[in-house]
Amino acid sequence: MEEESKTREVILRNKWGLHARPAAKLAQEAQKFDSDIKLGFDGREVDAKSILDVLTLAASGGTRLQIVAAGSDAERALAHLSGLFESRFEEDS
Amino acid sequence: MARNVLSGIPVSNGMAIGRAFFLNRGMGTAVARRSVPEEEVEHEIARLSDAVAAAGEDLDSVRRKVPKDLREQAAILDSHLMILKDNKLVSSAQKYIREKEINAEWALEKAVYDIRQAFDSIDDEYIRQRIQDVDLVAFRVQNKLMGGKDSISSISTRVILLAHDLSPADTIELEVDKIMAFATTLGGKTSHAGIMARSLQIPAVVAVEGLEEYIEDGELIVLDGLHGRIIISPTEKELAHYSDLKYQFEAYQGTISRCCHLPAETRDGYQVKVLANIELFEEVAAVIDSGGEGIGLYRTEYSYLNRERLPEEDELFEEYRDLASIMYPNNVVIRTLDLGSDKIASFVQPIEEANPAMGLRAIRFCQKYPDIFRTQLRAILRASIVGNVSIMFPMISGLQELQEVKETFAQVRRELKSEGKNFDAEMSVGIMIELPGAVLIADILAREVDFFSIGTNDLIQYSLGIDRTNKHVSYLYQPLHPAVLRSIKHVVDAGHEAGIDVSLCGELASDPFCIPILLGMQIDSLSLTPQAIPGIKRLLRQTTMEECKPLLRRIVRNSTVAESNKLVRELILNRFPEEVMFFSSLVED
Repeated sequence: MEEESKTREVILRNKWGLHARPAAKLAQEAQKFDSDIKLGFDGREVDAKSILDVLTLAASGGTRLQIVAAGSDAERALAHLSGLFESRFEEDS
Repeated sequence: MARNVLSGIPVSNGMAIGRAFFLNRGMGTAVARRSVPEEEVEHEIARLSDAVAAAGEDLDSVRRKVPKDLREQAAILDSHLMILKDNKLVSSAQKYIREKEINAEWALEKAVYDIRQAFDSIDDEYIRQRIQDVDLVAFRVQNKLMGGKDSISSISTRVILLAHDLSPADTIELEVDKIMAFATTLGGKTSHAGIMARSLQIPAVVAVEGLEEYIEDGELIVLDGLHGRIIISPTEKELAHYSDLKYQFEAYQGTISRCCHLPAETRDGYQVKVLANIELFEEVAAVIDSGGEGIGLYRTEYSYLNRERLPEEDELFEEYRDLASIMYPNNVVIRTLDLGSDKIASFVQPIEEANPAMGLRAIRFCQKYPDIFRTQLRAILRASIVGNVSIMFPMISGLQELQEVKETFAQVRRELKSEGKNFDAEMSVGIMIELPGAVLIADILAREVDFFSIGTNDLIQYSLGIDRTNKHVSYLYQPLHPAVLRSIKHVVDAGHEAGIDVSLCGELASDPFCIPILLGMQIDSLSLTPQAIPGIKRLLRQTTMEECKPLLRRIVRNSTVAESNKLVRELILNRFPEEVMFFSSLVED
């Protein structure tokens, strides 16, 4: 079944970028959705459900990323994950 | 012929005789690679799944054992659990089994290789290093695949643990009832494993060359944590010698630890405070057990190293508060950050320094990055209400610099006050004296602070222009050099003239040969590694000011190191022969 993918652009506001903890959090949360979720940065696209993939993006603070979701709960996934970026992954800095 | 004796760096004193047990043996070496026939592919995939599940159970059980206050270790283990479940690792290995028709070990190795390729090209040092976590996780699975039982939890009899390296996660699993001693191929004098060994009070040697090459699993070995040696398959004679040494060492330890809680007072009634140098909260137990009368130097760098980000104020506050309250009513001297910018490069603007030892480090670094400094000052101040806390600034070079630092400190105090946060308004403020320039103006600096602490390791290096880690010149690192002794005496006298206490926190404080000289100078306190406290206290309790004073008078007249070395060696060897057997000294023969 071919589903149309939905994209949302987010800004990474964490001071230290997508380091181990935010990367773990993102992958953990992404795993809760059935949709196929990708994370785009700097012309590359990786599996958002894989902590290793997310880490290898090495996205630094202040940069823009794209969340691309395809599947039955794509809309909800985008809303939830972009919320994580907005809340700086619930880190205080 | 195989080598019989291996040497390394001794990091924890003591002697052990037992069977070698390799942890993580073969880590980084090739795994068995073979093709599997098509009909066995499913079986191979199931074997991988079982191994992953078993490794996951092990990780879970270690994770559950991590005490609440070891947040970093808990975070490391959590990330290991996530990596174990990551598609990039296990699914990719499964895919390799199916498509290439190869065994699980080989497939996993290939999956890790792919991940490594991706990590190798990352600029961010911290993230690039996370490949080590992938290696550790993959190794756990490989180990299960190979039917290995070599995890610490599977050890049933007491052994001498040998490993390529011990991670903080491994050290959580170290249990004294199973491990007599340990040795590693990697590591250095200040590595985490050494600290753990000392706090568990088991002998340890690190940086042992040939460890994995020459020792067989299960082989009988002697680990000599005093001299940093491992004797492989000892002869009858060697065994007798080391059993004897072990017995004597333990008897001596027993004697000194029985009296280590008595005050450090000379026979003629002169009291010196004997304090501890520590860098991890976990070492507190060792301080209390060894009779430390407080903490003379709490090195605060550990919370800043190998981290994803800088510590938060509350995190530091909790660390300092716990330390202060557990040591109360004894004093805890917290030294502010003594780091160079190279050590926490991911948080600050990287700079090129031709000579970092004389570069942007310690107090200079803190002045350059006031946010980092203020966060620490706030945490220290807030912790001061629950105990007896002092603050100490490292590497002060002049009056103006000191006044600027004190001004920052005063601002932070005002800030806290306006926020209604409590702190000890009477907190003592001291400085490290470790630069020759600071020695010469000690009288001027003394008017500004409540105490001095002489950091002799750096002072000797800077005074004599010797990098002691440089083997071509390290022979000139001489604690009894007249310039060093005059400097120490000058600082003690200047401090006393101004009515402030003078402490000494370098390695000299744990060197039995230097103790009588320092006593003769009337040093107020000595701060040293907890392990050395019982021995030094016993030495202090047996000596008299009456013999130290004339010794000092003779020593200060000497113009060469050799004369002074001879004098102190004579005194110590004649007066305390049994005491020096298990000490290592910086003073040469």
